[in-house]
Amino acid sequence: MTVKECYEALNADYEGTLGRFSMERLVQKFALKFLTDKSYGELVQFMAEENYAEAFRAAHTLKGVSVNLGFTQMYQISDEMTEALRGGKKPEEGLLEKVTEEYQRTVKVLQELAACSA
Amino acid sequence: MRNIVLIVDDVEVNRDILAMILEEEYPIIEAENGRVAVELMEKHQDEIAVVLLDLIMPEYDGYAVLETMNERNWINIMPVLVISAEAKGEVEQRCLDLGVSDFIRKPFNAMLRKRVKNIVDLFLYRNQLEEKVEEQTITLKKQNKQLQEQAERLKESNTKIIDILGTVVESRNLESGEHIKRVKGFTRILAEQMQKDYPEYGLTDEKIEIIVSASSLHDIGKIAIPDSILLKPGRLTEEEFACMKTHTIRGDEVLDSIQGVWDEDYDKVSHEICRYHHERYDGRGYPDGLKGEEIPISAQLVGVADVYDALVSERVYKSAFSPDEAFEMIQGGKCGNFSPKILDGFRKVKADFEALNRLQNKPQEQKEM
Repeated sequence: MTVKECYEALNADYEGTLGRFSMERLVQKFALKFLTDKSYGELVQFMAEENYAEAFRAAHTLKGVSVNLGFTQMYQISDEMTEALRGGKKPEEGLLEKVTEEYQRTVKVLQELAACSA
Repeated sequence: MRNIVLIVDDVEVNRDILAMILEEEYPIIEAENGRVAVELMEKHQDEIAVVLLDLIMPEYDGYAVLETMNERNWINIMPVLVISAEAKGEVEQRCLDLGVSDFIRKPFNAMLRKRVKNIVDLFLYRNQLEEKVEEQTITLKKQNKQLQEQAERLKESNTKIIDILGTVVESRNLESGEHIKRVKGFTRILAEQMQKDYPEYGLTDEKIEIIVSASSLHDIGKIAIPDSILLKPGRLTEEEFACMKTHTIRGDEVLDSIQGVWDEDYDKVSHEICRYHHERYDGRGYPDGLKGEEIPISAQLVGVADVYDALVSERVYKSAFSPDEAFEMIQGGKCGNFSPKILDGFRKVKADFEALNRLQNKPQEQKEM
């Protein structure tokens, strides 16, 4: 699997990201960093603790990382989550699950990419 | 050298991407939270060219960093670009109020490199300008001090020149030093009165100082008159008197020869006094027959002072008139002919003239005793 195929599988913006990072190698390097980012784990943890202020911060970070990597769908859903949590509000039921679904899908594809490049 | 970029973001991926975009052009240092950022700023405050700052971080967030930068006045030497994923008006307003220069939007792209360069160059330029202004201010202050010193020295040399010329007149025994001193005193008293009553003459304090000082040169031209005429005890022949009258023009010429050595104002006033102190208001004076206000105020003032002192002093060829007689002779036009304004001023200072005469005319007092 190439980086391009990986982005296509994710419905992510490969051209835009390549344009910004200028080299395929760098796109891959940064895309794989998503796997070590802790913000999703923190989001889940703070949601469980009903600490919505910190959950907001985690969602915001997840959104920032996603947009930087050109993960369009991940960005969209984390943006929705961020807005729902803004001001320490409790988000509607089911939203976190949607984030989780997209996150797991993304991680799965990236792990395939990591396996190919290893 | 100020060229370091400080990246402050709690997300490693974000820091990595920014570093990758900028590392070709700048040395990069990174902070994963606000507290570390402030420590790095403290340590590298003379080297950091720009701070890229994330707002939302745990605990010590971007706002706290900005507040610290304002407290310590770093915000004026290190520009801040805020990294933000959102474009919320109130957020931007708060940042701008805290002194933020600009915003970097996510996703990061090539424009970011240009934006960072712009702000770094701008601040570099501004800091250099400030340094230059400071340098120039110091230079200006120094030059100003030198100018003041030179003005002071020039003033001193003006006075010195007048003193030297005055001494020449005295040493040839053309006029007594006492006469010169008294003429100066009378000139000052009258000038100060005219300053109060007749502002149209433009007699400033400074102008008066120059006139008083230059009054001591009124007879400098007498150094060019032969002793046989100058010191002749008896009455002068018509021819001799004509020669005597040339002391006005000769004085003018003497002053021409030192032109450029001293201040222009001194030069001009001295010329006026030497040449015109024997002119008359009715136009029948010499050497040029100037009439009315054609005669410079400086020469009009010294003219009265000179005549008055001649009248109240004893000379080889005459005895002294009393101050009252002298006053009447001048007011009545029997001796000299002066403008109504000058005569008005002279009338007002009659008592002051007399007081000065008593104080300075000691030899006469002794004789009277």
